[in-house]
Amino acid sequence: MADYDAIVVGAGLSGSTAAYCMAKAGLSVLVVERGDAAGTKNVTGGRLYAHSLEKIIPGFADEAPVERKVVRERISMVTDESCFTADFSSSRFQNPASASYTVLRAEFDPWLAGKAEEAGCDVVCPAVADELLRENGKITGIKAGDDELTAEVVLLADGVNSLLAQKAGLKKELSPHHVAVGAKEVVELSSGIINDRFNLNEGEGLAQLFAGSPSRGMVGGGFLYTNKTSLCVGLVVTVAHMAKSPDRLPDMLESFRQSAALKPLLEGGKIIEYSAHLVPEGGIHMIPTLSADNVLVLGDAAGFCLNLGFTVRGMDYAIGSGALAAETVIEAKQKGDFSNAVLCGYQTRLENSFVMQDMRTHKNAPDFIEHTPRMFKEYPELVENIFADMFTVSGPSKLMLKKALPYVRKAGLLNLMLDGFKGSRAL
Amino acid sequence: MKKIAVCYKWVLSDTDIRVDEKTRSLNMEKCKYQVNEYDRNGLECGVQIKKASGRELVGITLGKDTASSAKDALSRGLDSVFYLDDAALADIDKIGAAKALAGMIKKVGDVDVVICSEASSDDFAQQTGPRIAALLGWPSVSYATKVEVNGDSFTLERKLDDGIECVSVAAPLVITISPEVGEAPIPGVKDILGAKKKPANALAIGDTGLSADALKPASAIVSVLAPETSRKRQRMNPDGVSLDQAAAALVKELSQAGIL
Repeated sequence: MADYDAIVVGAGLSGSTAAYCMAKAGLSVLVVERGDAAGTKNVTGGRLYAHSLEKIIPGFADEAPVERKVVRERISMVTDESCFTADFSSSRFQNPASASYTVLRAEFDPWLAGKAEEAGCDVVCPAVADELLRENGKITGIKAGDDELTAEVVLLADGVNSLLAQKAGLKKELSPHHVAVGAKEVVELSSGIINDRFNLNEGEGLAQLFAGSPSRGMVGGGFLYTNKTSLCVGLVVTVAHMAKSPDRLPDMLESFRQSAALKPLLEGGKIIEYSAHLVPEGGIHMIPTLSADNVLVLGDAAGFCLNLGFTVRGMDYAIGSGALAAETVIEAKQKGDFSNAVLCGYQTRLENSFVMQDMRTHKNAPDFIEHTPRMFKEYPELVENIFADMFTVSGPSKLMLKKALPYVRKAGLLNLMLDGFKGSRAL
Repeated sequence: MKKIAVCYKWVLSDTDIRVDEKTRSLNMEKCKYQVNEYDRNGLECGVQIKKASGRELVGITLGKDTASSAKDALSRGLDSVFYLDDAALADIDKIGAAKALAGMIKKVGDVDVVICSEASSDDFAQQTGPRIAALLGWPSVSYATKVEVNGDSFTLERKLDDGIECVSVAAPLVITISPEVGEAPIPGVKDILGAKKKPANALAIGDTGLSADALKPASAIVSVLAPETSRKRQRMNPDGVSLDQAAAALVKELSQAGIL
């Protein structure tokens, strides 16, 4: 007889969601988390799209420690000299089913892990699951330090690196083309200053993404999110590109913070936290084997993350995959069969859900983004030139088309059309 | 069965203390409670004495929010915990804490070994162990780095400024340990899970045999401020002078100050 029905490795959003759902259905669940508390090892930009958690815990935002509801979106194209920003705000973002919230993982994750604990799970942290236990080849639990703990099924929610999924033979070593490295700082400012600077009402938030000089033309970009009394500011760059660059990410983040686009927004703020993390960005191309006998892979460990340049999502997929993993395990418990014959239902459930459907819809996005470096250098420059001319008066004027055409030619009209066409089909 | 009582303090972790640069005051809002790090060595010392002598091992604590300390403390090898959680004890001073702990030890009963650590990480007063010994009228052995037990007789080593002193004492006694007495292991998953099933007993101020008035602080903390660091704030490259020139200026400055 195993110690537990299920052991979940990792108390991030996918792990805690799965644990919560399984415990609610009466299963005995152990969650092990290597951080001192849930959330201490996690990094997000970060914004949580609420829809997937809303289905599991309706109205969660009323009790969970969310920071601000995002009602204002900005996308900026930045060069060393200029910044072009599109700013969109809408009352449509108020709808709970499609709302999004800025979150700090050190606050949010302990809340969700707490919900799992309330539902009856044993949550142990800090505890590192070093190995999977096997008996005659069958996965029977985990080894944590000197302790062996057994379960009918192990849910690997141990993050982007997921060494356990690699050890279980479900996942290969990460490709540098499939992961980005992100670094972020939390800059403290009063709530009033944030509201004034970003034109927000109390409790409302802003999300801003930056393409161009912040990533020094490399595939990647900058981000800014408003929290209650702080801003998250950071950069994400694909590892394959970063590795070849002479630039160092911390220096780039420093330059970004000092740039004309950002500096006035951060004025008077104090850096209170610094963090960095790998980000899965390979989309469907990096998804590992998701189920096998007595084991499932979820969240970042499964590569469920999607960066389209205007939306960056991972947490809602993590929650979605956690809930579907739980459903599958509950079925396995009812049938008394934890082999892949039942657990493979997890893959079917994912295919029928927004998680895999989005991965498929945007299967070309990672490739398009990686192979269109013009988006990170030439196009921000094009935008800069056109708008700089448009708003400059220093003598006789020219027609718009005549102003713009030389710049468009420089970037390549054909490139622009092709990228526009390909991009709109991929993103 | 005779009991070993390990006193531990539930302190705020110092990792998230934030200093207000203007007023130098400390902001503890983000700090979480933890078992005082030195007391973890004390708990481990208790585990070793338990193993060697077959005594029962109980943890004792008092102060604000101490009910929430039980699970953590119990994962460190204790058989049970007795806590006195009362907001009235938030500002208790060293005399009060020692009186209350001595009262709790009597209430628990059958205790013949009390272990305290050298100090707590929050105010490092180094008083609790010896004060409890005085109140109980038992021998006090401080700065213990090694503890051996044979039934009721204890052989201890004490680390002093001028050497190591070996002491033989018979129980009952109060031992104040130095961290060198033994490294505290990090509790494993099974230790943490097992802690949930062990008894955590709430005591009230009345159980100490003292009134709340008797535990009122005799001393008061006037202020707590971060130390001031004064810097000269001299820039060696004020107008963007070359690195060589800046280095030469720095060497000259340091030489004149007698540092180099």
